[in-house]
Amino acid sequence: MTQPNSTGNRAEVLGHGIFYLVLKIVGQLGAYCLLAPVVAVYVLCSRKIHRTTRPYLKRRFPEHGWLGLRLDTFRLVHSFGKVLVDRAWLGLDRQAKLHGEITRLEELQDIIRKGKGIILLTAHVGNWQSAFAHICSLPKPVHSLMHYEAEAVAKHYFDLRNEPCPFNIINSDGFLGGMVEATAALMRGEIVTIMGDRFLGKGPYVTVDFLGAQVKMPAAAYALASSTGAPIAVLLAAKTGRGRYTVHTWDIFSPKSTERAKREQEYTAWAGRFAGALEEYVRKYPYQWYNFFDFWSQ
Amino acid sequence: MDTLKQQLKEMIIKDLKLQGVAASEISDTEPLFGDGLGLDSLDAVELVVLIQKHHGVQIADMEEGQKAFVSIDALASFIAERQGSG
Repeated sequence: MTQPNSTGNRAEVLGHGIFYLVLKIVGQLGAYCLLAPVVAVYVLCSRKIHRTTRPYLKRRFPEHGWLGLRLDTFRLVHSFGKVLVDRAWLGLDRQAKLHGEITRLEELQDIIRKGKGIILLTAHVGNWQSAFAHICSLPKPVHSLMHYEAEAVAKHYFDLRNEPCPFNIINSDGFLGGMVEATAALMRGEIVTIMGDRFLGKGPYVTVDFLGAQVKMPAAAYALASSTGAPIAVLLAAKTGRGRYTVHTWDIFSPKSTERAKREQEYTAWAGRFAGALEEYVRKYPYQWYNFFDFWSQ
Repeated sequence: MDTLKQQLKEMIIKDLKLQGVAASEISDTEPLFGDGLGLDSLDAVELVVLIQKHHGVQIADMEEGQKAFVSIDALASFIAERQGSG
């Protein structure tokens, strides 16, 4: 783990400290007010941030020139900053609450009642804590298949709130990528959430078209659905106001693999369907997809 | 136990649709995943489902999976033990 021994890291720790202090004293709105100039300075002074946002923004806004892309970077980083502020605010203030809704909730509840389990396929969008607040209210235990880093963030968030984590975390770095445990949960009719957009270099993947170029996406969700008979619901959360969000049930489908030789071809088709949903999402909410690296060269 | 091992081999070949592999070619002791039979994590999902469906035994977590999926020998012992205790 990196120790905060460099000037950059010390500045980062100091920055976090100032934001926590502002949040404690003046709350979410005060932190939002501080955020805009901080992000503006960061976007003006840092070359690195433009290198990390450019691969996505160039594909999402091919018509934008130099200045347009800089403004896009500001909006993307500002939007992500608000998510971090919200996360810290929810963690620090037990009275803090985001208000929102989940679309097609009755359909999801119907599927869960049938007892076949369900896979909630999501992505690095919006504020996932808001999505989990709704998911955990569904009438079955929830498991989240995630890798170590995300697991640490999730635990840290609930530690801040001094609450037990309301879902079971299945470590995708474990034996066979956590697939055994996820399968068992689905067979008990329970809920498994998986991030479908980022391939982390381990486990099964397929290559699909996303925003005009090929990208690797994980295939675990399609294997789980095909074998267990659990449907997949694509859930994408979006922040829609200062204290508001919507969790969109973007798509629901039931993959069924026909034969081993066609497995890759079929998984590619289902991952393509998910990529299509994500493309629609980024058309509607272009500044709420948070993958700050060259997604297409992974 | 030998009958159970034979059933498991036949189930793996048939339900995982392994091409060009005969039950007699699968050793009782070779690893099922990676080197050995060469199954992958996608096959693990199917195998968990198949074992519950055909033998009524649930492999509930990574620890059990790690124990059961070592080889045909290990898988047969795991199932027999669970059926015996159930």
